[in-house]
Amino acid sequence: MHRNMRNSFRWQEKPRMCYQPSDDLFYWKIHTKTPSFFSTLKQDAAAGSSSMMSLRALALIGASISGILSFGTITSADEAEHGLPAPNYPWPHKGILSSYDHASIRRGHQVYQQVCASCHSMSLVSYRDLVGVAYTEEETKAMAAEIEVVDGPNDEGEMFTRPGKLSDRFPQPYPNEQAARFVNGGAYPPDLSLITKARHNGQNYVFALLTGYRDPPAGVAIRDGLHYNPYFPGGAIAMPQMLIDGAVEYEDGTPATESQMGKDVVTFLSWAAEPEMEERKLMGFKWIFVLSLALLQAAYYRRLKWSVFKSRKLVVDAVN
Amino acid sequence: MADEELTDPKLYLEETCKPKCVKPFWEYQACIKRIKGDESGQKHCTGQYFDYWKCVDECVALKVFEKLK
Repeated sequence: MHRNMRNSFRWQEKPRMCYQPSDDLFYWKIHTKTPSFFSTLKQDAAAGSSSMMSLRALALIGASISGILSFGTITSADEAEHGLPAPNYPWPHKGILSSYDHASIRRGHQVYQQVCASCHSMSLVSYRDLVGVAYTEEETKAMAAEIEVVDGPNDEGEMFTRPGKLSDRFPQPYPNEQAARFVNGGAYPPDLSLITKARHNGQNYVFALLTGYRDPPAGVAIRDGLHYNPYFPGGAIAMPQMLIDGAVEYEDGTPATESQMGKDVVTFLSWAAEPEMEERKLMGFKWIFVLSLALLQAAYYRRLKWSVFKSRKLVVDAVN
Repeated sequence: MADEELTDPKLYLEETCKPKCVKPFWEYQACIKRIKGDESGQKHCTGQYFDYWKCVDECVALKVFEKLK
């Protein structure tokens, strides 16, 4: 009856005194079913229109088969493509209130400077960031002064070089990406300022990668110029093994084994990517505690105010 | 410090963890034998290799940091 009133306009309609549901388009949309793909299949089957049904059914079967097949091919190439997942190492700074091992940051910076800085830039870190974290101000000033920095035009309009200051960023090994690729066989050594945040499971991944150079599995051949590393997606990485026992002589006399250097450099890189970590953990602990107390207070206050409403009694006064 | 007798603790631990991961190790060796005569270059043992090294990695990860400063 509602449908009739919608589709045909009758001059002789009785005057309506009140709202009819069919007036409302929203009502109309809710109460009309739009057929799904599967019900159209059933409708066609019921109506006996075989050509439309077989076309639809064929389309459905074809889509599901190609979906299953593509899934199959993806899983078989997965392992080497994603790289071996790095294990979870028990980093000393992992706990909810744990700070960095600053001696390790200091050693890690030494490893970065002597082993990694020849190819990898860390252009977001300044010398002044190291003060109070890994070195004293005098030590950092002396370290910065060892590098040459090109500075802005002087009064004569010429660029000039000067020794580095605390405010300077870490020096870049190459002037631009193209130069970096050219020297490294087409591969770009990524900037390491944020690397532990820029890779999935970054800290564990970088440590596993640096200490994980192994012989490739049987049947896998790596071309000249690349090296096998199971943790690297695809397995063939342009960087050779850089951490070799004794490559660096630590100032504090720690034996510089491959895994020691790996741990220290990853701690340094973690600090470089997240220098705020210690303050963040302190703030987080403090404010989660404070807000939990506030939650308890708010819950009590709400229940106090609502107690009036929740304890009311309703009386039904009916005459049968 | 001219201490030339540096032994990497991680390598040492990988050796000691090998007996714990014997099953995936023998799976890997079996795979090597299976693909030995292959000339097509398509066969490889990455799966078994990964399973073996995953087992060794998990065993090593628990202990390696205790040996480092």
